[in-house]
Amino acid sequence: MIVLLGMGLVYFSCTDSWMVYAKPMKQAQEWFGRQKKELDNKDNDSENVSGGNAAGDSSSIEDTDAEITTETTIEATEETFQSETSQLETSQLETNQSETLQSESWPAENIHTVSSSDAGEKREQIVYGRVEEDYFADALFIGDSRTVGLYEYGGLEEIATFYASTGLTIQKMFTAPIVKVPGQKEKQTIEEALTEKQFAKIYLMIGINEMGSGTVDSFIEEYEAVIAHLQELQPDAIIYVQGIIKVTNKRSQQGDYIHNEGIEARNAELAKLADNKNVFYLDVNPLICDEEGGVIANYTYDGVHLKAQYISIWKEFLKDNGVEKVVLD
Amino acid sequence: MVFSSIEFLLYFLPVFFLLYWISPEKIKNVTLVSGSLVFYAYGEPVYIILLILSVYINYYIGLCLGNNREYDKFEDSETEKEKKNSKSQRQKRMLIWTSVTLNVGALALLKWHVGGFAFPLGMSFYTFQILAYHFDVYRGVVEREGSLLAFATYITMFPKLISGPIGEYSVMQKELTKRRVTALQVQDGLKVFAVGLGLKVLLADRVGILWHEIQVTGFESISTPLAWLGAFAYSMKIYFDFYGYSLMAIGLGRMLGFTLPKNFDNPYMAKSVREFYRRWHITLGKWFCRYVYIPLGGSHKKAWRTVCNLLVVWLLTAVWHGTTINFLLWGGILWVCIVLERVLLKPLLQMKFIEKCWRVFSHLYIWIIIPISWMCFAIAELDQLIVYLGRMFNVIPGIYIYAGDWIKALSNYGLLLGVSVVFCTPLPEKLYRKWKDSFPGICILAALFWLSIHRIMQEGNNPFMYFRF
Repeated sequence: MIVLLGMGLVYFSCTDSWMVYAKPMKQAQEWFGRQKKELDNKDNDSENVSGGNAAGDSSSIEDTDAEITTETTIEATEETFQSETSQLETSQLETNQSETLQSESWPAENIHTVSSSDAGEKREQIVYGRVEEDYFADALFIGDSRTVGLYEYGGLEEIATFYASTGLTIQKMFTAPIVKVPGQKEKQTIEEALTEKQFAKIYLMIGINEMGSGTVDSFIEEYEAVIAHLQELQPDAIIYVQGIIKVTNKRSQQGDYIHNEGIEARNAELAKLADNKNVFYLDVNPLICDEEGGVIANYTYDGVHLKAQYISIWKEFLKDNGVEKVVLD
Repeated sequence: MVFSSIEFLLYFLPVFFLLYWISPEKIKNVTLVSGSLVFYAYGEPVYIILLILSVYINYYIGLCLGNNREYDKFEDSETEKEKKNSKSQRQKRMLIWTSVTLNVGALALLKWHVGGFAFPLGMSFYTFQILAYHFDVYRGVVEREGSLLAFATYITMFPKLISGPIGEYSVMQKELTKRRVTALQVQDGLKVFAVGLGLKVLLADRVGILWHEIQVTGFESISTPLAWLGAFAYSMKIYFDFYGYSLMAIGLGRMLGFTLPKNFDNPYMAKSVREFYRRWHITLGKWFCRYVYIPLGGSHKKAWRTVCNLLVVWLLTAVWHGTTINFLLWGGILWVCIVLERVLLKPLLQMKFIEKCWRVFSHLYIWIIIPISWMCFAIAELDQLIVYLGRMFNVIPGIYIYAGDWIKALSNYGLLLGVSVVFCTPLPEKLYRKWKDSFPGICILAALFWLSIHRIMQEGNNPFMYFRF
């Protein structure tokens, strides 16, 4: 018993987990309507964690905010803060909705449309249209578990290159060691891999893990930086920014940070990153979603990942929407 | 609340036990009942009313069922006494039928109409416990419980409220009013609890992720080896989930001063399906044996009657677990196996040669048939179940199979599955008995406890909920 409690003390202090108690204590405080100051005094029992606590507390306010929305006892200051943010969110949503309408602007499917661009001395033509699987031979897919699914069940594992890992985020994209190198034990980062090898096409499918943290704006900023860095490393590559695959309506309504409204907002902004010269936007969602805007329930078990047999819809979509740069004499 | 949640482990557990230990002997039951109601209400604010109602109503039914005294007062002639006795008997018979109709009716109604996650937590368990008590009182095996508080303690006590073990009233009767809580008991209970928590969080939940991944992929697209791995993973998950839970319940019970019955006895070491289900969820098996199988005549009548009795038991067992058709299939498979074991295996084992061979093959038989039966248990949609079984035996062609899927699964979960298999043998229990009182043993158990908490904190209560994509 003593050992158990002792070990608990050590564990809590080492991992700075006293926070666990701070949250309900704060809730209790709100119930009794006491002042915030008291909490901070009361909480900082142990000296060595006091710094961590103060920082942690401020972050836990954000957490509890979301939970408390249904409760009636909210401090006045927080209430005003909340209403402000919700206003912001709704206005953002409205603008996003209008934008998503515009963003479905893929130049007519399957028809070869031609547009020209004069990049310096070379005259390039961009050809849109259906491509075959060998198109992916010099393509690279970067992404999270959805791309892992494409790797495993898309039938492209022998053809294309995949730098994909479950839980990959835009922030850690270049620094996470996820690239297997044959004959080497340690994994490379994407940064290292891309300095060694050049690709002609790079497909990005990333963004659902980031929804728990940051805002749409911060996400897009980071995404933009990633594209810029990719272009530095791979100047000749066509970059495909793929709209984040949505989730089912049921999953969307589950009440956590993953919801289709958030995905739509992000996709609307992602679409704007395309310049249709080097960066292109692709969105498979219309092919796999129902009228209500969520992924068709039968296509997935967990509401987030397409079942293996439906991955082919995505693959065929990518094949239908290839881009090729043709250099004109 | 579930045992393996932060709310329970870090808030409820310390606060409740502190209150429980400082409350004087006489009001310990009050503390326990109110604590249990808080425990139940935390996740089920609506159905707590049902629980309280059920306790009240069944307490009175129990009182009436055990009412003998009134008739003893009359010193009438023999014939008249008989008359009255038969009248009281008739009343009691009516009462017991009322109890069965009410309890089973409410259970069945909710099972059919609500089902799934909205189904009141633990209702299957506490209903069965109440029924057992009524049957025993009716038969005169036990005296009725006069105190509402003691009855409420018996039904609602939080260690066994949600998933058993289904404790017999006759066994627990004494402890309901008189029990001793010693420091040694508390320590012992904590140790058992830590082991249970570890099994649930560190083994069941993690092995369960493989099963989850297979569902995400879709059964149409898994290779045959992966289908088998998935069935094994689920078999391990459901075992350690339930076994871990039962151990936690027993540990908590001991900390409160109760002795709760054992629910599992290394079932995967069984040599036949019949034996498996004597070692798996023992208290439920006993319930069905005592209140259904034996009253029907058990195995003392003609062979075909035994087969019919077994069918009834397994039908009821299946429906108790769930009302969808897959549960009937699950119960059906087990029934067929048990009947075949009775009819074919028993005479065959008389021969020495076959008996020797069977010693080896019996384990293989269990490790094949039980995972198959679990798949029927796990997959509610019949078409999906057919696909899965089809993939297990490679009779249904797969769609877009990733040939290396099972190698990937083995490299990710091989170690966990290996550890699970070791924990299916009696070895860990032996080691536990040997080491639990030594200092390093205590340290390991304490570390296990905090490691489990650490994992729960990282993942949230549901290992899949905060899963990374």
